[in-house]
Amino acid sequence: MSLDLIEPILFGLLALAIVGAGLGVVLAGRITTSALLMAFTFLNMAGMFVLLGAETIAAFQILIYVGAITVLILYGVMFTPQGPRAYGLFFQKQTTVGAVIAALAALPVMAVAFAFRDAGNVPPRGGDLVPLASSIFTDFAFPFEAASVLLLAAMIGAIVLVKRE
Amino acid sequence: MVPGPLGLDPFVWLFLRLLIAVVLALVLILNGALVLIYLERKIQATMQDRIGPYHVGPFGLLQTFADALKLIAKEDFRAGQTDTAFFIAAPALVFSPMLASFVVIPFAPGIVGADLNIGLLYLATLGSMGVLGIVIAGWASNNKYSLVGGLRSAGQLISYEVPGILSLVTAVLVVGSLSMVRIAESQPGPFTNIFVIPLAFVTYFIAALAETNRTPFDLPEAESELVAGYLTEYSGMRWGTMLALTEYGNVTIVCAIMSTLWFGGWQGPGVDSGPVTGPVLGLLWFTLKTYAFILVFMWIRATLPRLRIDQLMSFCWKLLIPLTLLNLAVTATLLIAFPETKVPVAIANWILLGAFVLGLPLIQQRRLRRIRARLRERTIAAAPAS
Repeated sequence: MSLDLIEPILFGLLALAIVGAGLGVVLAGRITTSALLMAFTFLNMAGMFVLLGAETIAAFQILIYVGAITVLILYGVMFTPQGPRAYGLFFQKQTTVGAVIAALAALPVMAVAFAFRDAGNVPPRGGDLVPLASSIFTDFAFPFEAASVLLLAAMIGAIVLVKRE
Repeated sequence: MVPGPLGLDPFVWLFLRLLIAVVLALVLILNGALVLIYLERKIQATMQDRIGPYHVGPFGLLQTFADALKLIAKEDFRAGQTDTAFFIAAPALVFSPMLASFVVIPFAPGIVGADLNIGLLYLATLGSMGVLGIVIAGWASNNKYSLVGGLRSAGQLISYEVPGILSLVTAVLVVGSLSMVRIAESQPGPFTNIFVIPLAFVTYFIAALAETNRTPFDLPEAESELVAGYLTEYSGMRWGTMLALTEYGNVTIVCAIMSTLWFGGWQGPGVDSGPVTGPVLGLLWFTLKTYAFILVFMWIRATLPRLRIDQLMSFCWKLLIPLTLLNLAVTATLLIAFPETKVPVAIANWILLGAFVLGLPLIQQRRLRRIRARLRERTIAAAPAS
């Protein structure tokens, strides 16, 4: 037994956990369970990034998605009034429509995934801090700035929406 | 693959090494928590002119061990309507990120779990994960005090993470690396980062107090308002894990971060004297520096009263975050303008620190005057009606 075998095993475990927890998020009947399973999915995604050698992205994944977004979702859940009516709004049972839409969305993803053969010229350690930072601030400066403007607009919108009067 | 000692198969050694590291970290945290609780009680007793624990063992040294044994032996008791799975999961969710944080802390030259090149980011990440467990604990207890405690804690931790991480980033800019080992190595001799970026240290210190739920920011467990906050329904070793182990573990970690980033970590006289004495002395300096900060935390707990939740939030969002952002911008600009020397950064930082310390009373005076004016208007407006 050697280390070569560990990587596929880890990949399999992580993939199973991601798909299983993702299904759990959709199918669970309680909003807190869904939120916690979502955090679990994000953690496993971070594990995938570590497996790919992109520890920086994995750390940001956990920092932002587990540490901030999931907590904010839980925060929101706890401020919503609890009762059977609220759950009825959260969990709509439109299984057939949902299944058809999911299948339609899955088809292009699967087509891309099965057409994938070779990663080509990916530089080793491309997910490290320094290459990541330099590519964000040189090659992808415009998308990065556009995303920050979008976030700023969203934040101002949220403040305007919740401001009294 | 690293070949093991004594001709061990590298594959076996891989798992054995992991096991040894985890056991060492657990022993460190368990004993560290016991020692810290004893210190906390003794120091508070001294400051309040009491004796503190003195019955069990010499100087009461074994008191906390007895307490821990009692906690372990306690019945596993849960209130009827708690959310079982979440209730059991919450202490683990709080404890495991704290345990994992010890991996990247450089205890001495060459003694570190893993020299990650994103060490500080890793610590910040794990620090943010603990919030999830606290919120879940508050939710699962099915108790309004727990819920409010959990929510307060989430708000407080998320708010104070921002100035904390911004101060860390300022230190990282000055050092030029996120690796904890590189940061410790970059400060040889007496000229450590504290002389270069004192303001970042002060802001991080405040944020660290808030992130570890220590006084004056211990609102989530304010006993006069919230019983014990998110810990209300917990008892036995679950309570011990959540409160004693995790709180003191987190205090140890933030103090280790402070001593590494601003005070050179294991740097001190005689750390390069030899292959054996070097690491031993390094460990000694590191422990002394870390425990010095822990003692300051305890001193603050015995001295300062608790803040109100609105004071806490407005201090963070209106003062601390703008200040750390300004500090970050000034530091980054000066580092780009003068890449060879850190003197301009140091001058700017000391000036900003002076402005912060001297400006606080002025801001407070203005705030009080405004509040009094508003009160007076309200009484004048209410007078004709009565």
